[in-house]
Amino acid sequence: MSNQLPLECKVKSAMPIAAGGDNEAVQPVPSPHQSHDREKRVNKNSDSAERFAQPDAETVGEVTCADAHMSARNVNVWYGDIHAIDNVSLDIARNQVIALIGPSGCGKSTFLRCLNRMNDSIEIAKVTGEILLDGQDIYRKDLDPVALRARVGMVFQKANPFPKSIYDNVAYGPRIHGLATNRSELDDIVHTSLDRAGLLKEVRDRLDEPGTGLSGGQQQRLCIARTIAVNPEVILMDEPCSALDPIATARIEDLIDELSQNYAIVIVTHSMQQAARVSQRTAYFHLGKLVEVGETDRVFTVPSHKLTEDYITGRFG
Amino acid sequence: MNDVQSTRRKVEQGLKKRYRKERLLRYSGLVATLLGVAFLVVFFATLIMQGKSAFQQTFVALDVEFSADLLATDGVFDPAFADFDSVVRNALRAKFPEVRERRARRDLNRLVSVGAAYQLRDLVEANPELIGTRQRVMVPASADVDMVVKGKIERSVDESQRSVSDQQMLWIDQLQADGSVQKRFNRALFSNGDSREPELAGIKGAFMGSLYMLMVTIAIAFPIGTAAAIYLEEFAPKNRWSDLIEVNINNLAAVPSIVFGLLGLAVFINWMSLPRSAPLVGGLVLALLTLPVIIIASRAAIKAVPPSIREAAFGLGASRMQVVLHHVMPLALPGMLTGAIIGMSRALGESAPLLMIGMVAFIVDVPAGITDPATALPVQIYLWADSPERAFAERTSAAIIVLLGVLLVMNLTAVIMRKRVERQW
Repeated sequence: MSNQLPLECKVKSAMPIAAGGDNEAVQPVPSPHQSHDREKRVNKNSDSAERFAQPDAETVGEVTCADAHMSARNVNVWYGDIHAIDNVSLDIARNQVIALIGPSGCGKSTFLRCLNRMNDSIEIAKVTGEILLDGQDIYRKDLDPVALRARVGMVFQKANPFPKSIYDNVAYGPRIHGLATNRSELDDIVHTSLDRAGLLKEVRDRLDEPGTGLSGGQQQRLCIARTIAVNPEVILMDEPCSALDPIATARIEDLIDELSQNYAIVIVTHSMQQAARVSQRTAYFHLGKLVEVGETDRVFTVPSHKLTEDYITGRFG
Repeated sequence: MNDVQSTRRKVEQGLKKRYRKERLLRYSGLVATLLGVAFLVVFFATLIMQGKSAFQQTFVALDVEFSADLLATDGVFDPAFADFDSVVRNALRAKFPEVRERRARRDLNRLVSVGAAYQLRDLVEANPELIGTRQRVMVPASADVDMVVKGKIERSVDESQRSVSDQQMLWIDQLQADGSVQKRFNRALFSNGDSREPELAGIKGAFMGSLYMLMVTIAIAFPIGTAAAIYLEEFAPKNRWSDLIEVNINNLAAVPSIVFGLLGLAVFINWMSLPRSAPLVGGLVLALLTLPVIIIASRAAIKAVPPSIREAAFGLGASRMQVVLHHVMPLALPGMLTGAIIGMSRALGESAPLLMIGMVAFIVDVPAGITDPATALPVQIYLWADSPERAFAERTSAAIIVLLGVLLVMNLTAVIMRKRVERQW
């Protein structure tokens, strides 16, 4: 089906005849959309006592989950002629953190941006397949991306506070969506959001000062506060700590942990340790394909796919 | 080892050559800069040297007899019938009682400006109680006297070669000797419209014409230009049509300005029947002229807004219009205004298109609105530079100084705005 991808071919040829013993436990669960033909082959491989899944398997691991808040089904994204996302299906569970990992250019950020239709602004981008939010396709014609983005918030790689005051940064979302009817309600929202982002203590006395005057870590927490101020259901985070020092990173990670009690969080990260620390599930992307997805503990200890193992052990990426 | 040393030697040898080249480049840059500055200094120096005397005007003190016989013939003062010319003539005659001959008297009368009578009329209109009294009044000297007093007419030149006769020279000397000649600030230059008499000519008419024109220009070009820029940057699909439009806007910025004048003549005056010589039409033409400048500058300002700000707003669920109005516009506005001011200063200095729409005319009245006939500062400079009177030469320079001053202020505003926009986010 996709043998033409050079890297996969290489992996295939270089694959040793594994001498694994505990292979039965990590047999991949075939995704619902896999063809019969493929299923047969996977089964044949298991007979040959191979530890890893067939390299051209679509996705190994459990793409579905019981309490799915968002579900992507057979999502393809093209940027012009470039096939950036290739037939990805993935569920995002309620009140859980899922980490998207993979080498640069593997499509994890692209996939993330599909989840709140931020790719709409790129004219050459084309998305097929369906992404369901509470069972409704977010790419259907009559859905307003503006309303969607109020439900699926986003935190970006580089902290990007507006060149306005801290207060106005947080108040902007509630204002445009009309969430507060008067000033005291707005004050309430701003204070709670800042508090939940762990920033209130530091900025309580200088809400009128520009948000751009804060430190990098504070700015990123301000952006998180701004996002949760509109009370979204899902929060997308695109490498939120890549520009931060370890201390600021630790604070954000703690924050993600706390937020996961109320929100579904999808985080793209280049740091495997971070993925291991904050997420309950991990999805590994490679060249636009979702290679493996599963419980974080399992993926990082006994990956089912050769590519996943190569990546998390640092052989490439 | 040998190899290492030869490499080092080669590098060190080459070093001298490299430094020589660098020095050459640096010095040629310095020379070019100095040359540019020198030209500028010469330009400003000559301009100020020639123009500064125009800011002063010679006045003659006359003992004026406001006789009721001449001013209120029927016992009632009526400015339409009051003979102020005779009042001025009598005052001069009183000063030089020895002049009897008719021709000499005419020469004598030419010492003071024809504006003196108007000045006295205004004075009496404001204070009718002056009638019947005798007052010492400073009246403007004629342009020729002004030139003699300022030393711009050489006495050594043969009498037939200059506009002031030897006799008049003597009278001027007499007046100067008894202290009745005084140089004062030339208020007429700023409060009067154009005139055939240099001592009465001012730039107010041209200045107001330019002002009305710029008002029309900015009122039309700024909203249209920024709206076009916002549409092209934020909303227009990127396809062959938008590329074509972009190329044409850039081309439009390079079209010779006189072509816009022809367009204005054909469209606004001939087809739309708007009044000719009016700041309205001038402003429309200059708006067309500055539109591409404003569009290009505004697009650059919008492009300079960091995409992260846009993404942040989109990510929060702002609609496209909200992103533009709440985030892009406030950040791009100073840049847009800078572009507008640069466009305006280009419009202010433009004269060619105005020639085509009839704004090159001798207009005495200061325009009171955008449909009154008017001229503009650069055109006024052109008109004065064309005049034969000696005194217009210095007024030409003075008008240029005023025009440059206005341009300087406008560009300074642009620089300050640009400084404001250079903030961190």
